[in-house]
Amino acid sequence: MKFALKILKDFPSFLWSGLGAIASILLFIALWDAGNQIYGDLVLPSPLETFKTLLLMLQDDSVLAEIHTTLYRASIGFGISLILGTALGLLAGFFATASMMSRPIVTILVGMPPIAWIVLAMIWFGMGDETVIFTVIVASFPIVFVGALQGTRTLDGTLKEMAQSFNFPWHMRFFDVYFPHIFSYVFPAWVGGLGMAWKIVIMAELLATSNGIGASLAVARSQLDTPTALAIVVIMIASLMFIEYIILEPIKREVELWRD
Amino acid sequence: MKHEEEEKPQILRATNHYLYYPDEKDIPPYLAYGFRPVFVLLAPYMIISMVLWGLVWSGTINIPFMDNILVWHVYEMLFGILGIGVLAFLSTGLPELFPGLVPLVGKRLKYVVLLWIAGRLSFWFIDITGVYLAALLNLSMLGWLIWFARRAVLDKLQRHASLGYALLALLIIEAWFFASMAGVASTAPMDILKIGLGGHVVLILLALRRVNMEAVNELMEDKGIDDVYISRPPLTNLAIFSVIVFTVVEFLYPNNSALGWLGLASGAAVLAITNDYILKDKFILNQPYVIYLALIFVMIGAGYALMGYAILMTEYTGISHFRHFITSGGFGLAYLMVMIIIGWIHTGRHLTSNIYTHTMIALILLATLMRGSIPFFEEYAHELYLYSAIVWALPFMIYIKVFFNFLVSPRADGIKG
Repeated sequence: MKFALKILKDFPSFLWSGLGAIASILLFIALWDAGNQIYGDLVLPSPLETFKTLLLMLQDDSVLAEIHTTLYRASIGFGISLILGTALGLLAGFFATASMMSRPIVTILVGMPPIAWIVLAMIWFGMGDETVIFTVIVASFPIVFVGALQGTRTLDGTLKEMAQSFNFPWHMRFFDVYFPHIFSYVFPAWVGGLGMAWKIVIMAELLATSNGIGASLAVARSQLDTPTALAIVVIMIASLMFIEYIILEPIKREVELWRD
Repeated sequence: MKHEEEEKPQILRATNHYLYYPDEKDIPPYLAYGFRPVFVLLAPYMIISMVLWGLVWSGTINIPFMDNILVWHVYEMLFGILGIGVLAFLSTGLPELFPGLVPLVGKRLKYVVLLWIAGRLSFWFIDITGVYLAALLNLSMLGWLIWFARRAVLDKLQRHASLGYALLALLIIEAWFFASMAGVASTAPMDILKIGLGGHVVLILLALRRVNMEAVNELMEDKGIDDVYISRPPLTNLAIFSVIVFTVVEFLYPNNSALGWLGLASGAAVLAITNDYILKDKFILNQPYVIYLALIFVMIGAGYALMGYAILMTEYTGISHFRHFITSGGFGLAYLMVMIIIGWIHTGRHLTSNIYTHTMIALILLATLMRGSIPFFEEYAHELYLYSAIVWALPFMIYIKVFFNFLVSPRADGIKG
């Protein structure tokens, strides 16, 4: 409770500290506007036109339905890799042998390009929800897994001994000794995994499905509708920035204070 | 409040530089330190000239002896006041930034101030005395100031060199302006003045970093707030970069849509500087002086953001009105704050906030809002021009009432200067 209150208390100053970032984004948009004036509307629509298209799109029910589809796929995929990755990672972290064994496998998972996974998933699952969800899981699972693994591997041995010698009950041992430390590793991994899930879901949709934001992007491309394409890109970036910076980053900051 | 302070004089932080005081005999108090004659003259000058301009812009009177009144109005409000403002800032601040520098006092100070007065006379009588005399007097004033500040530029550590370079840039811009008015350069004088305005913003942002560091830390020490305020260069630099890009693009491509975004960017970047006031442990945003100083950034930031908005919405008539958030609001507050802070601290007093300081700041804000809202209330334009000028002049009348006695009498703590 105290923790949540502190996050809320620091939230206004956190938001205010984003002004510098907003300034540099606006400078970038000015550069974009200059690009529009040099290369013309077809190649690069003006930022103002893009934002106007975006506003129109957000009032359109069919576009909202596409966003909903994409959100559904991303959250199912990310949810599964969050649960699996955290559970398996924690488990692997408690056993030295298991963590030694899992390392090379994780390296393979991380090293394999997502585009290759999409091709395989299209052969295995066909064109549909499963392909997208599978790709999301494969891409974000290793990130969460490694975070959880690190969290348990780096637990302070002396603290463990202390908890044992004082005969802490199991719930105290878990919530007061292990949990804060592990959470400070797991939570940032979740944030990283979510970012990955959000990027991969669009790519998978673009290649493997006929609905969702990714598919809308493919349609916009084939119709040379650059304002819509850019508006979709803005939706993706803005939603990711909103989730990452407005919701998760304040929590992450507080959580990471545990780590010295 | 004031009496309490005077009964228990403490040694203030900003006194160590007074060790190097020149041993000239019989210096009158009003010439005992650089800021003293400046503020004695600047406050009445602000009142007279602003009320005069208010009468001119509302159409109540006209100035028959000057062609192109708008250009000269902008020139005088920017460069005319800059000269003496910089004199106060440098002659008071430099000995502090560079211990060992002998302050400018007595006769030498008097001559520099007379040079500024001559510059003002040459300005108001420009149709009789000609543009060349005005150029000579005003440029030599700024040139002398840069010569005075040369140590800041030549300093090995380059800690405050940026101030010197900003002043040099302003000197070149002012010379360019006079060349244009004399018909030597072909650039439109108003375009040059807009560059000058950007230069002023840069100079004020640089100067405010120093003023903030001194004033906020002095204040916290005074109130026993155990934290340190640090004005971080990256935030100021981002703001300066944005403002310079805005200024250059406005000169080359006025009313271009990219300029609109640059305006918004500059607004956000200037506002972002206020993040420095959010300290790690202590909350200082409830301190009046922190609010006063933060309002300068709010005003300048609002000016740029509103100009950017006007450009993006292609409502170009609003731009000049919104620019007054930067000038009447930001510059007005910046000058007033420097006058108030130096008026307290460098006359040997504690930084005090009272009903007078609150009122002064509030009146500048009110005047700026009146002046900046003219595009929304076109039918009251006449009244708004006049009354905003009068409201803007009021704080300087209060300043005279509160501070004149301090300025013309010796320091309260008995130290020289």
